[in-house]
Amino acid sequence: MRQEKRFNRVLFVTTLLLTSIGVLMVYSAGSIWAAEKYGNQYYYLIRQLVFASIGVLGMLLVSQINYQIYKKHSTKIFLGVMVLLILVLIPGIGLVRGGARSWIGVGAFSIQPSEFVKIAVIIILSKYLSDFYRDMKKPKYIILLLVVIVTVFGVIMLQPDFGTGMVIVTTSVIILFVAGVDLKYFLFLGAAGIGGIAMLIISAPYRLQRIFAYLDPWSDPLGAGFQIIQSLYAVAPGGLFGVGFGNSIQKYFYLPEPQTDFIFAIILEELGFIGGVVIFIIYTVFLLTSLKISYQSKDLFGKFLSLGIALIIFIQFFINIGVVIGLIPVTGVTLPFLSYGGSSLTVTLLGVGIILNISKYQQEV
Amino acid sequence: MNDLIFIMQKRLRFLMVLFCSMIFVLIFRLAYVQFVSGNEITDKAYDLWSRNIPVEGQRGIIYDRNGKPIVNNVLAPSVAVIPRQVEDKQEVARFLSEILDFDYGKALAHLSKNVSVQLIKPEGRKISIEQAQKIIDKNYKGVYIVGDTTRNYLYDTYLAHVLGFVGIDNQGITGIEYIYDDYLMGAGGSSKYYTDAKGHALEQLYGYYDAPTKGMDIYLTIDIDIQILLERVLENANARYQPDQMLGLIMNPKNGEVLAMASYPSFNPENYKEYDQEIYNRNLPIWMSYEPGSTFKIVTYAAGLEEGVFSLNEHFYDPGYRIVDGTRIKDWKAGGHGDQTFLEVIQNSCNPGFMEIGMRLGREKLFSYINNFGFGKKTGVDLLGESSGIVFNVENVGPVELATSAFGQGNSVTPIQLVNAASAAINGGILYKPYVLKEMRMPVTNEVVFSTQPTEIRRVISEETSSTVRHALESVVALGTGRNAYIDGYRIGGKTGTAQKAVNGQYLENNYIVSFLGAAPMNDPELVVYVAIDNPKNTIQYGGTVVAPIVGEILKEALPILGISKQKNQIEKEYRWLDLKYHTVPNLLGVEKKKIPRSVYYGYEYFGSGNVVKYQSPAAGEKIPEGGKILVYLE
Repeated sequence: MRQEKRFNRVLFVTTLLLTSIGVLMVYSAGSIWAAEKYGNQYYYLIRQLVFASIGVLGMLLVSQINYQIYKKHSTKIFLGVMVLLILVLIPGIGLVRGGARSWIGVGAFSIQPSEFVKIAVIIILSKYLSDFYRDMKKPKYIILLLVVIVTVFGVIMLQPDFGTGMVIVTTSVIILFVAGVDLKYFLFLGAAGIGGIAMLIISAPYRLQRIFAYLDPWSDPLGAGFQIIQSLYAVAPGGLFGVGFGNSIQKYFYLPEPQTDFIFAIILEELGFIGGVVIFIIYTVFLLTSLKISYQSKDLFGKFLSLGIALIIFIQFFINIGVVIGLIPVTGVTLPFLSYGGSSLTVTLLGVGIILNISKYQQEV
Repeated sequence: MNDLIFIMQKRLRFLMVLFCSMIFVLIFRLAYVQFVSGNEITDKAYDLWSRNIPVEGQRGIIYDRNGKPIVNNVLAPSVAVIPRQVEDKQEVARFLSEILDFDYGKALAHLSKNVSVQLIKPEGRKISIEQAQKIIDKNYKGVYIVGDTTRNYLYDTYLAHVLGFVGIDNQGITGIEYIYDDYLMGAGGSSKYYTDAKGHALEQLYGYYDAPTKGMDIYLTIDIDIQILLERVLENANARYQPDQMLGLIMNPKNGEVLAMASYPSFNPENYKEYDQEIYNRNLPIWMSYEPGSTFKIVTYAAGLEEGVFSLNEHFYDPGYRIVDGTRIKDWKAGGHGDQTFLEVIQNSCNPGFMEIGMRLGREKLFSYINNFGFGKKTGVDLLGESSGIVFNVENVGPVELATSAFGQGNSVTPIQLVNAASAAINGGILYKPYVLKEMRMPVTNEVVFSTQPTEIRRVISEETSSTVRHALESVVALGTGRNAYIDGYRIGGKTGTAQKAVNGQYLENNYIVSFLGAAPMNDPELVVYVAIDNPKNTIQYGGTVVAPIVGEILKEALPILGISKQKNQIEKEYRWLDLKYHTVPNLLGVEKKKIPRSVYYGYEYFGSGNVVKYQSPAAGEKIPEGGKILVYLE
């Protein structure tokens, strides 16, 4: 293995593009709320710029670190993150925001351990699968993996953070699928998944309301349908060309926190269908490139790891935009690269750094 | 091992295709939201962003039959506030409470409400132009002036009961304003201002004015000139007799159009709150029901003629009473009218004569005519608060009820039923449904949207009978009890009425509703006038004495308004010693005092100290009653 090989430049450029668009749009979408809450319309811009800088630097750094190191320390990383995930549940350590105890404060900044859990779960899954992929026909191996996944999901649901939980479970299941697990297990998993979702709905009826709100948001315009309606009120007036950068009306306190989960609604309002499709294209290039890296990776750990990171990004992308345009029920999932948020952006960029590093070794191995 | 890797690669390729298709799904859904349901959602979004300050629609104008406006609108601004835009709430509250003259606390409450738009109601509704100007001059942020209008009743109390009135939001509450509210009402508009979710004005979007629309205009069958005439005559009668209440109704007998309708006491629709409910809710010509007295004899007479139970020249002897079923029912004239023809029976309004006609008809026939003439049920005129009156159930009619019904006692009727029935009796025999709405027209274009056609209800008597009734009624005025309604040059017909008021089953003493029903010209009647005065003071309470001259005066003035000229061939008035004779006033202007001709029929009253007549009243050529005085001013 030689280090002079360069990482995949397409992936790097699309990442920088998406991150830059994100910084600009966080400014536009969040300036009104920032001025109202902090007396400074650049508040979110400055912070997002800092996160992006740290994230890009981190990504470049990570791209130089041989990814095999994660395989070696996979158990330590996983257990360390799990400790954080449990700490966050303890009142006094974990901070509640938006109804979920998901943050741990560190000085002026705070982090969301669940963002890091996504990577940790993929690392440990990739290690396990790359070591034991031949045994994946035996039920006990599969059951062991499922126990790990369900445990992580259960702990995240204690916050509760259904969105992140869903992302982790879906990513894990798709990795198992690619790893060659027999298709009959997925039928079983599908049934279990539907049963699990039914259980979750029964245990927290607000989720059921959210589902109904998605089917007909105007049936409860001030309650469960509120976010979807406000999102559509941004999307529809955008039309083909959008109302122009900075000219959104829905960001004027109509859409709550427009710089985070619903930033794509503001993007569609200001940049229109064309702007939206341009971002879709950049995303598609990014995704196909990272899947190609996984495809070309001869090292199974690298294959699963790069696949997993790409999956996390794609699944969040699909759920987030699906919510914004009223295709799927409201689920609190951020849009990778574009949404405001330190943990989300830096973890995504660090993940891309790992894929970049994997891309370096493809021709030789 | 290679097999396993092969499966992995195959599944990865599948994922790439799957993900690309999922991205296409997103694009399709996005296109659907933006382009298919886009307009609908965008409209809703604009509704969300805009604050609408409502502007009332302008009500349609109410015109008379000749297009003269009766009710129109005047500008009356209203004040609206967008509380979140008001910067110094206390200062603005103090200012508004001062200008609009209401409590500071209330003003502050309006400004502190957590709503998008707050109308200052009622204190800020329909304010004066001066008040509005002061508010505009101050130009406080978040305080808006809206150009509302208010109703303007051009003739104050005249026609008030028919027109009705509107509430603070220009909604019709009674009368025509209420009945045709849906048509009169214009759709409201609004001033739109775009704001953020916290109510601050947005710079990206300019507000606009969504103009309110005008309601439809209404043309009534009322002739406002005739209405004014009726009201003035009633005002004079009020001053002279101080009655409890009065009513007047003028209709076109040929189609059921109401030409004028008045109730006294009346009210001003603009200040209806200052009056008792009983005043503005009782449109007497359709609300009041009472035993009509002799005016009802027209119906009995028409029925008898139609059935051929008597002829005009047939003789009848009136001893001054008739004993019916052991009860002695007196004539109104002590001693009776003696021997008369049936034409004289109606001229004299002879009660025993009408009892005779009633008996000859029998109860079934008489009551079938009473019902056919429309008594006992509402006429269906398009006005609020009509009564149906009470007519005996024919099974319960004994000989006494039959006898009294025949001359107008026992059954209670409304004035409009009576006028409508009399119209049928003289118009050739057709009963029409009375109406007040003539046309509805679009504002601005004046296009006729709806026009009422006369509604024929039924034929009640034949053309020939009707013609005989006309002759009989004309002779009542020329030769009988109605002679005080006589006008030289017009063929007037009519019938007096003195209705006794029954209270708790007893007729009141010296307290009558005196009335007269007149019509002209009798060869081809164009209008029927009915006036009833409830309990006139300082007079003999007879319809012929009190009301006949009033109706005569109305007819004399109204016929020229309708363009009906004087005719010949009228039945010549027969003078009796009781009647006043009229003499023509000579021309005295410029005549020396000594040379003024003396007359045994009238005298003079002199003013001034000169020797030559400068002015005289009445003027030369006018009529003066016997024993009257001519006022002469000398210089």
